[in-house]
This record gives sequence, C-alpha cells and structure tokens, in this order.
Amino acid sequence: MSYKHLGSRNSGAPGWLFQRITGIVLIVAMVGHYILMHYTPSSGHEFASTFERMQNPLWKIFYLTFVVIGLYHGLNGIWGIVRDFKMKRWISVTILGVLIIAGISFATLGFMNVLVF
Amino acid sequence: MQVKFSIFRYDASKDEKPYRQEFSLEVEPTDRILDCLDRIKWDYDGSLTYRRSCSHGICGSDAININGKNMLACQVLIQDIKKKLIRIDPIPGMPVIKDLVVDMTDFFEKYEVVKPYLIAKNPPAKERLQSQAERALIDEAVNCILCGACTSSCPSMWGNPNYLGPAALLKAYRFAFDSRDEAPAEHLEAIDTNDGVWRCHTIFNCVEACPKEINLTWHISQLKKKMVEREF
Repeated sequence: MSYKHLGSRNSGAPGWLFQRITGIVLIVAMVGHYILMHYTPSSGHEFASTFERMQNPLWKIFYLTFVVIGLYHGLNGIWGIVRDFKMKRWISVTILGVLIIAGISFATLGFMNVLVF
Repeated sequence: MQVKFSIFRYDASKDEKPYRQEFSLEVEPTDRILDCLDRIKWDYDGSLTYRRSCSHGICGSDAININGKNMLACQVLIQDIKKKLIRIDPIPGMPVIKDLVVDMTDFFEKYEVVKPYLIAKNPPAKERLQSQAERALIDEAVNCILCGACTSSCPSMWGNPNYLGPAALLKAYRFAFDSRDEAPAEHLEAIDTNDGVWRCHTIFNCVEACPKEINLTWHISQLKKKMVEREF
C-alpha cells in the first residue's frame, strides 16, 4: 500500500458544497444588483436615492451578505485553482495568506461602504 | 487507400530527444490502427515499440494518442480517423520509456491508494447476493480495463501529477457503491484529500477518451455527493 498520495484527513466536502450554494446565491444576487443599478434608471442611481434606499435595513443586509458571499466564492475559487497545481508548500501558504488578507481587506472596505449610510 | 503514419520515436537509453518517423502504408478502411502498427513493426522497422496483448479491447494495454486523442489502437479503424495523415504518440502525462510505451508505475500506485478491492470483514455463509438495482449502480464502473486513457487525458493530472486521476476515482466508486462492500468509508476516505476527488473540475476529457464509453465524470460527481452526505 502506497500512502504517497494520501494527504489531509480534513474533508473537502464542506468547501465543495458551500462553493456551489454561494454560486447559486450569487447568480440571484448579481442579477438583482445589475437590474437595480444598471438597467432600471427609475430605481435611482444618484446619491440621494441610494441614501434613501440604504436606510432600509433589508438592503443593508442584502449588500453585506452579497459582499461576504461574493468574496468567499471568488477567493475560494482562486484557492481551488491554485491547488490544481503542484507547488512548494511555502508558495501555497504564501498565496493562501495573500488571499486571506485580500478577503479581510475587501470585506472591511465593503462593510464600511454599506454601514456608512 | 494510402495512409501516412507519423510516429513518435524515442529510446531513453540512446536518444537525446524524441523525433518523428513517417511510414506510408496501403491500408483497407476497415484495418485497425493496431494492424497498421503491427505491419510497420513486422515489415518496416522491428525496433518500433508499443504495448499490445489481447488486441480486442479487453486487456487495455494499447492505449495510445491518435491525432491528439487517447484511444485504444485495437479498437479504432482507419475509417474512424478520416485523415490521410495519422499522428501517433504515446499517451500524454506519463514518462516515456520507449516509443509508445509509457511508465505506468505512478498510475498503478494511485490506483492502489483507493483500495481497489472488495472489503468484506465477515465471511458470508453463502454467496453475496445483489438486487438488480444495486448491481445497476456499478454496471458501468465494472467495465474499466485500466488502460489509462482517461487519467492521461486529464488536464488536472497534467497540472498536478499528485492528483489521483479519473481511473483511480472510478475504482473507488466501483467499490464504495457496491452493496457487497462492507467498508465503503475506507474507499471514500482514501480519495477525500487535497489531491483526491476535489481536483476533478468536470472537464470531461476522460469521458471522451474512455474506450469503454464509461461516463467517468458522472461517477466522480456521485462520489462528491456521497462525501457531502457523509459530512452533513
């Protein structure tokens, strides 16, 4: 019995499942966001109407969820691509670190933009 | 009809790098590629090296790359190729030993990892019976002849040589979904790793390459679903 190819005992199942669930949520959220912001001028794109809309906590929850799910899906996707390649451990750990820092930074930026209203 | 063969040649013991050699043959449309290779070896160049055994699509030893696609030389006819120039290469992603013969040691090591055998801890009093529905689950998976055409056609394997590959994963399915197997978890745990089932991105090259027409990607997706069921 060769154990050469046996790796981590942690299951990849949750990551695989959440990637699919967040993908489905993003399709709905992205289409909704695009219709609202790019195809329906009547919904109001200027600061005043955006400010008014964002007073509704449901819109805030929608955009906070959108930011978190979008970042998780996108960065986990990049991490999945990275793991498709055989590389030295320090390189993959560095890439993982960069992805985590990018995720935290963009999430902070997103939260600041939503919660400022 | 006249057909030209451009064949990959390389002898690791004496050649610095590979080269191509061309042969023109008068062939019948119903000749198999293996028949043509045999004629080249027997009548033109005895040093041409390739694997063959049963010559009838069962032993899985003559998987080669024909005009860019992995196939069994004994299963493909000249008329299937529809070209006057036929390029023949060893299957990709594996080290070449000589000409069309590749080193499949790594392929079989990965195969071994998934415990490719029925795990039965309690000896049965009589034969192990299966319902038709239980057997139907593994109807396709049992047809694998381990030719390696699928694994060698997989871009995920080219990018990460540690990836177990579709053939090993199919074998894991074959036993994990066999109602007679008493430890499906052992097969599943062996593939639930960084280089296991999660590296499959449903590219479908393996499905296209499989000479036994097994839908490997479907079987791998069933393994992923099984993993999720196990976790939640």
